[in-house]
Amino acid sequence: MGKQTWKERIPAFASVLGLLVLIAAYYIVGAVRDANVAYGLKAIVNQSVVVALVATGAVFIYTLGSFDISLGAATGVSALLGAMAYNATGSLVIMFLVCVGVAVVLGFINSSLASVFNLPIFVTTVAMMSVLSAFMLILIGWNGAGDTVKVKARDVRPLDNIPFKVFILVSYIALCWFIFTLLPTGREAKFIGGSPVCARLSGINEKKLGIIASLISAVGIGLGAFLTIIYAPTLTKDTASSIGMDVIIAIVFGGMPVSGGPRSRILSAVVGAFSMGFMTQIMSMLNLGSGYGQMIKAAIFLLVVFIALGSQRGKLLTR
Amino acid sequence: MKKPSLFRNLLLSLLIPCAVLLVLEIIALAKGVRLFVNADSWKLFFRAVANVTLTTFALSINLDSGRFDFSLGSVSMLSATIAGTLSQQWQLGPWLTLAAAVCIAAGLGLIHGGVYVLTRIPPIIVSLGMALFYEGCAFAFTGGKGVSLVTRTDIIGFSQIGNYILVTAAAVALIVLLFDYTRFGANYRALVSGQKIAVETGIREVGNALGCYAVSGALMGVVGFIGMANTGSQQMALNFGSIGIMFTAFLPMFIGGWIGRYINRRIGIMLGAVSMALISLAYARFDTASSVQSIVSALLLVLFLIYLNNEFAILSRFRRKQEVKS
Amino acid sequence: MKNMKRILSLALCLMLALACIPALADAPVKIGVLVADATGAEALAFRAYYEHYIAKAYNVEFIYSEELNTADGEKNAIDNFIVNNCKAIISFSSVDRPAQIEQCDAAGIYYAVATGTLTAEEYEEFKDYEYYVGAIGPSLDTEFRVGYDMAAYYIDQGMTKFGIFGGAVPYRTDMHIYRAAGMLCAMIDKGGEGAAYQGVTDPGAVIGMIYGTGSIETGKIGSLELMAYVGGYDFDDAWFGKLAQMAGTEGIEAILTVGSGVDVLGSFVSGSNVKLATVDSFTAAMGEAMNSGIIDYVAGKFATSIGPIFVATLNAVNGQPIRDNDGNALALDQGYWVATDAEQFAQYYAVDSSSEDPAYSKAILDTYVPAGVSYDDFAAFIAQYSFDEIAALKK
Repeated sequence: MGKQTWKERIPAFASVLGLLVLIAAYYIVGAVRDANVAYGLKAIVNQSVVVALVATGAVFIYTLGSFDISLGAATGVSALLGAMAYNATGSLVIMFLVCVGVAVVLGFINSSLASVFNLPIFVTTVAMMSVLSAFMLILIGWNGAGDTVKVKARDVRPLDNIPFKVFILVSYIALCWFIFTLLPTGREAKFIGGSPVCARLSGINEKKLGIIASLISAVGIGLGAFLTIIYAPTLTKDTASSIGMDVIIAIVFGGMPVSGGPRSRILSAVVGAFSMGFMTQIMSMLNLGSGYGQMIKAAIFLLVVFIALGSQRGKLLTR
Repeated sequence: MKKPSLFRNLLLSLLIPCAVLLVLEIIALAKGVRLFVNADSWKLFFRAVANVTLTTFALSINLDSGRFDFSLGSVSMLSATIAGTLSQQWQLGPWLTLAAAVCIAAGLGLIHGGVYVLTRIPPIIVSLGMALFYEGCAFAFTGGKGVSLVTRTDIIGFSQIGNYILVTAAAVALIVLLFDYTRFGANYRALVSGQKIAVETGIREVGNALGCYAVSGALMGVVGFIGMANTGSQQMALNFGSIGIMFTAFLPMFIGGWIGRYINRRIGIMLGAVSMALISLAYARFDTASSVQSIVSALLLVLFLIYLNNEFAILSRFRRKQEVKS
Repeated sequence: MKNMKRILSLALCLMLALACIPALADAPVKIGVLVADATGAEALAFRAYYEHYIAKAYNVEFIYSEELNTADGEKNAIDNFIVNNCKAIISFSSVDRPAQIEQCDAAGIYYAVATGTLTAEEYEEFKDYEYYVGAIGPSLDTEFRVGYDMAAYYIDQGMTKFGIFGGAVPYRTDMHIYRAAGMLCAMIDKGGEGAAYQGVTDPGAVIGMIYGTGSIETGKIGSLELMAYVGGYDFDDAWFGKLAQMAGTEGIEAILTVGSGVDVLGSFVSGSNVKLATVDSFTAAMGEAMNSGIIDYVAGKFATSIGPIFVATLNAVNGQPIRDNDGNALALDQGYWVATDAEQFAQYYAVDSSSEDPAYSKAILDTYVPAGVSYDDFAAFIAQYSFDEIAALKK
């Protein structure tokens, strides 16, 4: 195999280029609109970190060519149970362990159902999303304190700072990068995503890998749930409900193919999540109406994906 | 090999809806409730059959070709919004408003398909973008107010059992005709089963994909109109608030797939929708809480899929037991 | 394809550049608005008043959040307003008001609650915060009263069989629970001897029971009967079926809704003798429904009811906050307008929807803009919220 030319390498960096363009646009719009861009950067980190965490873990699932739409509901349930555990014990450590533990259990149930019974993972996660959303409502009812589950803000405030969040994010990315790049797990996952039949014939255990991917992703969900409580300790039935869709958009924005395979990259999720953060800030500064704002957001989304896809288009229609 | 009899196929096709009805009637009996108690119950049932059948067709047309579509709800919402507004301005009757909704929705589907074939972005991603775009359009078009036709007795008068049956029957007939008895349908099936070979043999994939998106859109136009006529209003949704409708179509699609072994698959989908409509009616008659509904529906989906994906193992274990007994 | 990409990239840059142009004009005071509902008729009427009247009458620019339903969403939106250099925030979103106040106070921007109030404990905690302007809107007691008055209106007419649509009761939304509890308590008070809801008669106990179950039980309440109840906003076939069943319940005389009555039940009661009552807003569509007899009773927050909180916020931004003698922030209760016939509704709608001369016009609001407006004067002004009182103020 020959060396890649710079033209061939461009698609790999298109998403980073997209992020740089968005950062430039953010500064330009910020200057014209007389915005507090320095504060905005802090806001972007706060707003993107949970999506970045969950999306980073989800890269493992997407790499396999699978698709999980229950990520938001799983984050919500983990956060609710974590908050309830904190209120019962007053321990942040227990809250952390419950958040991660619940997410891991849910991930295990999801992947086991799919693996043991040969279910299509997307449909399993559709069912799981429905069950978890209903369960959130039931949990809030059990909690018996109106329409929310609250942790006292002052109890979690010491952890609500950028260095702590960045530390958690970087640690998790490092762990995922290690597993994805340096261990056979990552290579095998890419192989399955790229060519499931060949991977199976080569002796790769698809079911085992599916469960491992779900468990790694679940750790990200648990961390995301923990940071959700730290950031905004009043939880409702809608907490984290948008994360499922945000993760899909972040992964695509980050330049990763939704079909998974060898072109999957761990950093796609982070690049995508922060691209979304910058775009949200730009849209907010432009102060467009709800309808027109959403239309422009959709157009920019499709445009960025179109540019980021680069030369990946083939003769046949993409499926 | 002995050819399976028509009667046996018919019986097996009706197995799921009949079993669902039987189970629900038993529960109803235990609860002291009648499933079909008055005209409202029948109306609910036939409306659900129409909505679920059409939505499942709309989803499966593209999903069978590997094209996932999150924008179905937004197409339904935007087409009903525009058609409803036109109906208000020009005092269109129900059938003309329905026709307008269908044409607009087909156009929206075509635009969606156009963006897909032009950009070659993966269909699931295009559908996310289009869902956002159409939700934004509907909001901008009405200033967020949506459409209120609650005083239009002619429009809300459309919500009749006869009209629901007519619309469902027409949709099933057209879809069967289009996908099973035309060149378009033959090309579609060829592309579903072998995209590369089909394209290399000269089938025009782009045209077929555009057609599929247009038909899928048109079906969602009918669903949008039925919803608007039922409540007399069309509410707005933003930030993917419209995608929920898609999830109602999975179970009937899989049931349709199973029934499709014994009868035309499109009719199988309709029978799957009949089963779902019975369940919806039962939820209403038993006054089931929304959270319980969600959990039961999800469990049914998972259980059916478990059976579907492990059918051979389950049946061979069952047969082995029978053999041991005999 | 290459050229196409260039064109598209250029279009993206151009789009951003064009969107920036309005900002080069005269710089107005920026006020952020947190919204919990971006599509409801009431929310749209509020927005229209601010954008089409207030923003033109005063040199202000309103920046709206997206629809918020989570505390982290509220926090993100406030951060976005801070980035935009907003001088104040008016909040219609109530997931975590204490957190909103803390965040704004830390950032040094003014914060006001529109169409709602803080609880007594929350007010005690935040009343002396420098950047907390205060709250003007219906208290939970007022919400209870709205439900109570609605039920009493029909009971006083001799009706005995009712249905209730509970809206967000299953999600434990305070406002809807208090309205529903008000309806039940009116039935208890007017249901004759032995009237009780599930064995209780005390309003506090009724509210507690609804919070506990997230639902309302049907049954006899003395001589009256609650024949049907539907809650939630599922928008699926089963839910519409439940609504149709409620409207078609034999003998039912009136359906009392805590909100969205016409949108969810209008078509089902159309053409029947069942009376429909709702808490909503004064819109053209609602007017048509009133004229055609679909809806019979509307209790609504009038669109311009958010004028006074704007004035209070603007005063604070201008360095003249309205405070009581102890330096505490505003906490003022504001009620609803109630229309029980088409003529009355039309009268309300004409004033409420006017972008030239709305109920709270600039002329009225300007009375409270100058420095030195006392808390008591402002409180007296807010207390005169009925249609006739505002009409008298205009004169």
